[in-house]
Amino acid sequence: MSISRRSFNLMMASGATAAMMARPGLAAATDVSFLSFTYAEDPNRPHVQALLDGFKAKSGIAVEPIGSAWGDVQKNVLLRERSRTLPTTAQLSERWLPAMSKLPEVVNLDDAIGRDVLEAAIDPKVLAMGQAGGKTLALPLITGSIGMVANKEVLEKAGVGAPPETLDDFRKVLVAIRDKVPNSVPFAAATKNPNSIPLDFMIMVWAHGGRIITEEGKVVVNSDAAKAALGLMTDFMKDRLIAPELDRPDSRRLFAQGASGFYFDAPQALSFARTLSGRGNQADGMVLPMKTPVLKAGDTAHSIQWGHLVIAFKGAATDGKDAAGIEWLKYLMSDEVQLSFPPSLSALPVTKTAVASPKVQNDPFFKAWANATGVPLTNEVGVWGNAPELSTIISEEVQASLLGQKKPDAAIGSMAERLEASMAKGG
Amino acid sequence: MAFAVQDSGKGPAAALRVSPHAERGGLKARERRVGWLFLAPALIAFVAVILVPFLRALGLAFTRYDLQTPVPEFIGLGNFHAILTSPEILGSFVTTAIYVVLATAGSVLLGLSWALILNQPFRGRAALRAMSLIPWVLPSTVTAFVWGWIFNSRFGVLNALLTSLGVIDYPTAWLSTSGGAMTAIVITKVWFSVPLFMSFFLAGLQSLDKEQLEAARVDGAHNLALLRDHILPHLKPVMLVVIVLGVIGNLQHFDTIFALTGGGPVRATSVLSIEVYRRAFDQWDIGMASAVGLLWVATILPAAWFYLRHLLKGA
Repeated sequence: MSISRRSFNLMMASGATAAMMARPGLAAATDVSFLSFTYAEDPNRPHVQALLDGFKAKSGIAVEPIGSAWGDVQKNVLLRERSRTLPTTAQLSERWLPAMSKLPEVVNLDDAIGRDVLEAAIDPKVLAMGQAGGKTLALPLITGSIGMVANKEVLEKAGVGAPPETLDDFRKVLVAIRDKVPNSVPFAAATKNPNSIPLDFMIMVWAHGGRIITEEGKVVVNSDAAKAALGLMTDFMKDRLIAPELDRPDSRRLFAQGASGFYFDAPQALSFARTLSGRGNQADGMVLPMKTPVLKAGDTAHSIQWGHLVIAFKGAATDGKDAAGIEWLKYLMSDEVQLSFPPSLSALPVTKTAVASPKVQNDPFFKAWANATGVPLTNEVGVWGNAPELSTIISEEVQASLLGQKKPDAAIGSMAERLEASMAKGG
Repeated sequence: MAFAVQDSGKGPAAALRVSPHAERGGLKARERRVGWLFLAPALIAFVAVILVPFLRALGLAFTRYDLQTPVPEFIGLGNFHAILTSPEILGSFVTTAIYVVLATAGSVLLGLSWALILNQPFRGRAALRAMSLIPWVLPSTVTAFVWGWIFNSRFGVLNALLTSLGVIDYPTAWLSTSGGAMTAIVITKVWFSVPLFMSFFLAGLQSLDKEQLEAARVDGAHNLALLRDHILPHLKPVMLVVIVLGVIGNLQHFDTIFALTGGGPVRATSVLSIEVYRRAFDQWDIGMASAVGLLWVATILPAAWFYLRHLLKGA
């Protein structure tokens, strides 16, 4: 078989043209999309769908939902940024904002919506969750804190009347659960995922009176308090009071199925218990928000500030205060959304009017949660731009101690050295 | 395709022209063009999917390019210096070496043993040969999840078996110890590599002269002597190819390790492929990921060069 030069050139030109035409088409200028991890969670998808339907009914604008698993959202956004296929808006965990805020495509909401509008609607402390470098780069959507929840039914099975106040009592209760509730993980602490381990470790360090990184970026984890916290967690592992290979979804499942007495979570713990137990609202009595046990009675218990944010990316749909994407964000701030969406996820709303509403003020679970967690502290690790690396370091060193590869003191020493190097490089 | 010689009727010189459409270079050039045409799709795919990203990664290896530095910033050999002074990354090279040696040795030994068994005449041999290919046919991620459930600390089959036999009192978290996790990823890889290796060895055994083996038996050679003096020397070329392919494949391996252990616990199974992934997509340190990736390619090159040389020599 042979082919003439003219035919050859023609084929090559046709191929090149076809290849150029096959490029992914650019989205229509006014399309609004919403990358959401809540939409990817089966039990919660209807709640997000209700938002999309409500916005369409009100404005006539359709928002395209893009589901992404919670653990993949950062990856998804950063890869889309590199391939120039960013969505109009994306849902974030509050701790991802420092990393995401570095993207040049992020819309400054102080300009797009107006700082005065935002401050009039949202309490400054809550609004601060969406701020970086003095700018509001994300809109808080739901809020709350990450604190400890106890399983009332498991405590009863173990013969425990009330949640423990001190760490000594906590250990005694855990032993009771281990001995009286077969096949249980008394305290379902996160021991697997680098995104979750630092949160549990952070609260335990706070409970011992220590800190990991100061507001100024100084690494202070190499302290007796942190060593004692990790030592306690390691002892828990040795005594089978916590278990390896657990991530937050595993903890939620164990808790909902009566196989765990305690774990750390956001107020969403209630909706997860309802769904994962298969008992719906009948599971409400099982979930007991409690103060994290402290070193000695009277010490202050801490929780971590938590929330979901919505970030917008530059494009035709976010260009101007009346742009479709900005209208979508404003809709998320409305009472219509704030009085329905956060409570449906067992989380607190972000706007002042919604927080003050009787629906929220009279909700027994929200009251119990607020009493138990008090004023939450800022996530000491998540606020830094190199948070992913810091989380990996903390996670590896905590795991090394829990699994017996390092003594707690050595793991804390190594953690401090590595965190310092990472902060020096670019915290 | 045949071409007719045309007579233009304008004298001998004109008669030499084979066609009014004849082109410079003649038939050879036309055939070369067809060759290029057939080659073009693969070439375009290679350039777009492998060469361009590789060259880009090569450039990025000399830059700082992370979340703090959205635009790559040239830092010379900075990343390579960081690699040489990082016990964590150097540990990944050691972990990779351990994994490659164990997975390749396990696959070769079991593949050869299974081939020797399946080379014997017995009833149901064809069915067993076909069934042996199942692990190879299964998607590797499915394989990883199957083994993940076998080793699972709470619901795993292994723990259930050992507990019922009274070997252990409490379920063991196999994937949470360094040795257990490494054993698990090696077993998983060996399990789905054995069928392929077995096929290579079985093909090699088919060409072994049976009369030679029978003659050796008549001379008093036992099974081990037959294996040592006749079968293994015969399989030497196949063995070389299988080992080199095994080393290359295990150096590149990612999916089952990621699905089973994610490189953990701590860094116990963080081979180079996992290390590059974690640097690039967990920590977003693309510059460092590119530098580690470059060194990773360098570890694969000797084996690839050896394999290609062997292949071209054979051709």
